[in-house]
Amino acid sequence: MVLAEGGHDVTILEKGRNYFSELVSARPGTVFSNDELKSDRNFAEADPIAEPRVFRTSPSDAHPFVGSVQALPQTVGGGAVHWDAKTPRYWDIDFKKLSLLGPITGAAIEDWPFSYDEIAPAYSEIETLIGVQGDVAALPELTLSHAPRSGSFPMPPGPAQYSSLVVAKGCERIGLHPFPAAMAINSRAYDGRPVCNNCGFCSDYGCPIVARIGALAPLRRALLAGAELSDRSWVVSIEWSGRRATGVSVMDESGRRHSLSADLVVVGANPIETVRLALLSRLPDPHGATGRHLMFHWFTDGSGIFFDERLHAYRGRDHTHDIDDFADPDFPGARKAANAAGLPYFRAGKVEMGGSDRPLGEAQEYQQILSYVEPHKPFGTAFKQLMRASLLRDRLLGLVLMGEDLPYPTNLVDLDPVHRDFRGLPVPRVTYSPGRYELAAQAFYMPWLTKMLDAAGAQVSIAVPQQSSSRFPISAGNVPQTDHMMGGMRMGTDPATSVTDATGRHHQLDNVFIADGSVFPSSGGHNPTLTIMATALHNARQWL
Amino acid sequence: MRSLERRQVLKTASLAGLGLLLPPELLRAAPSPRDAEDVAGRGRWLVFTAHQAAVVEEATARLIPGPLDDPSERGHPGAREADVTRYIDTMLGALSLSPAKVFAGGPFSNRAGNPSDDMAEFIGLTPGQAYGWKRRIAGWRHQYSVGIASLDRAAGGSFIRATAAERDAVLARNEEGFVSLLFAHAIEGMYSNPEYGGNAGLVGWRDIKFPGDVQPRGYSDAEVSRSDGPDRYEPAGAAAKLLNLIKISNGR
Ligand SMILES: Cc1cc2nc3c(=O)[nH]c(=O)nc-3n(C[C@H](O)[C@H](O)[C@H](O)COP(=O)(O)OP(=O)(O)OC[C@H]3O[C@@H](n4cnc5c(N)ncnc54)[C@H](O)[C@@H]3O)c2cc1C
Ligand code: SF4
Repeated sequence: MVLAEGGHDVTILEKGRNYFSELVSARPGTVFSNDELKSDRNFAEADPIAEPRVFRTSPSDAHPFVGSVQALPQTVGGGAVHWDAKTPRYWDIDFKKLSLLGPITGAAIEDWPFSYDEIAPAYSEIETLIGVQGDVAALPELTLSHAPRSGSFPMPPGPAQYSSLVVAKGCERIGLHPFPAAMAINSRAYDGRPVCNNCGFCSDYGCPIVARIGALAPLRRALLAGAELSDRSWVVSIEWSGRRATGVSVMDESGRRHSLSADLVVVGANPIETVRLALLSRLPDPHGATGRHLMFHWFTDGSGIFFDERLHAYRGRDHTHDIDDFADPDFPGARKAANAAGLPYFRAGKVEMGGSDRPLGEAQEYQQILSYVEPHKPFGTAFKQLMRASLLRDRLLGLVLMGEDLPYPTNLVDLDPVHRDFRGLPVPRVTYSPGRYELAAQAFYMPWLTKMLDAAGAQVSIAVPQQSSSRFPISAGNVPQTDHMMGGMRMGTDPATSVTDATGRHHQLDNVFIADGSVFPSSGGHNPTLTIMATALHNARQWL
Repeated sequence: MRSLERRQVLKTASLAGLGLLLPPELLRAAPSPRDAEDVAGRGRWLVFTAHQAAVVEEATARLIPGPLDDPSERGHPGAREADVTRYIDTMLGALSLSPAKVFAGGPFSNRAGNPSDDMAEFIGLTPGQAYGWKRRIAGWRHQYSVGIASLDRAAGGSFIRATAAERDAVLARNEEGFVSLLFAHAIEGMYSNPEYGGNAGLVGWRDIKFPGDVQPRGYSDAEVSRSDGPDRYEPAGAAAKLLNLIKISNGR
């Protein structure tokens, strides 16, 4: 958008297909729909057989997983087609983590090249562009002190989801500070697009009425300014010589390759694919920094079960309320627990409150569970009774705690030496495991999730880490699927410890710029996409 | 929030991953269960022989029983009524149709105020999807032909002539994991959008009070924000055991 509006001749290359019509109109048409099976079958994502990824917890992991690892939609619009568009801002302490919170042994804690105050105008601009609902008056003092706001949100909050209200009340009872989540979803007609009608197929689904525009808003601006969009165009390498890229090599859907010359190359393929492209292109990397300091957010689930009523979390925008008390390093007791674990401090992050599962997901849970609880006949009427009682869907209230991940040099993306995708290209291999910081914060906050659910009136409350770790070796299949990816091409001033400079420009190639979460020096404890967009905007303004 | 959904996606992914393990010979000559010649079956099914369809129908009716299969399910349709066999046959034959019947269209069906059913128009596959689904379906077809034969064998020659109790015993043995696959597919046929061939008359959704796809109507603000009122449930049977399991695992 910035480059096209600045008069550059821009071609946007997208590997996936375009499932929208009339992208330049205010309200594009789409084939996304309320369809759980379509989503389960990875309609918008890479097929895990054709394009698997490899996951291992460490180089000595004897059983690497091959399949779907942090797969985001591969389509025009990217992951911002399938998100439920929660758009919190990062906090001041995220941008100045080293100066304000201090170092942690084993992790590469750094400050960002810019502060919260410097990026705040870009936050406001993006919030207006993609249309964010929220209520400044309802934001806790703590949130506003770390992420101050100059004006109100472009739209007021839409209707609160009943399940979210139930747990928000519970939170208040135990001294936590719930608030209506900021989200890029229309609570009224906005910019030519309709109000959200709360269809409930929100997270993991393209919005059938495009009440959630996401990345298509800046794309539209770029197209209106003359940019060309080429879908089904897979960039397989960046061509370069000396300190400059000369263009890219592109593969079309039939597998044919052609070259495209360029004065300037901007990559925004999401950390795993951006790093893969850098490695496939053998971009100069004198310090071996490419791909390192990968961060995901360390998720923990809370589930409360209610016997007295159905919470109908299938209606609405996945969930409508959050707390971010646990992002505070000075949350009561947190410093003490951190010290006991040998750390100066730790943080978890935001909790999303009120979501649940859908019927296919619920039924698959019962299929698994019945083999434990009814081993002699793990099917039949018992299964149907479970489905009708719906303890794990209609009577379930879900919490998701996203924990801050530290940047460790050992968490990384590289190319797998064995596996190739259906076009013969090496697939990305992710090596990732949590450190003491993540596990200590999780251990401290996990009981809080059950406390919140108890306070909300749940008859049964449970908290479970989403991924296995040394502390919770749940099962081999529990690879991270947090959808939040940061790091790998981190920004910094020192080329020995970072890959890109203070504006996302590659240290070794003067006309290659990175514009996605891979440039993040730290992960924060909130959903990243608003900050990805604001960082790209803030940086791009300096490239011209 | 992706968490709760992702857990199950992973589980299905591990089933889907079976396609990766297939020896390449199988792909070249993906054996159709129809190879076991059955003239009577032709035309009615894309893939199954009449006998295979009958075994699948009777087996899935034990997994997800309806009123004909279990008297305590009176008023509660099951796999038979939802036409789960049609769903599975459509899935196994999806690539013989054009466009392939893998991804239903959109944005709307005609169930919530739209005049026509956009979902009935399936969306063509990308080359990557075609590659993946070819392998996935070849793997499943192989498992079905072997698995159906093993159900017959375990039932002493004919699964459909066995008594309900015998069928249950055979299914509980879950030889080579075929019953897990069948159950997973039966679940999909029971509770997915009817355009995929199952959930006939929306019986799967109705039985669990799930409204299904609701676009373009959506829900009113009141439906979103208010309680539906008290609806007390006393845990019993498998549900009580499930809660016990949760409590135990929470205690660790
Ligand atoms: C279910 C779900 C819920 C989510 N909820 C939230 C939320 O509430 N809040 C939030 O902040 N975030 C959320 N996210 C995460 C969010 O989607 C991502 O952070 C965001 O999409 C990242 O944007 P991006 O542009 O950097 O990368 P992407 O959106 O991944 O876009 C990258 C694009 O590049 C294309 N591409 C990749 N490699 C190549 C190549 N070599 N050549 C050409 N094209 C290529 C891809 O196909 C893709 O379309 C959610 C994600 C999912 C899936
Ligand atoms: S809940 Fe609203 S924003 Fe989400 S998919 Fe439905 S209509 Fe779109």
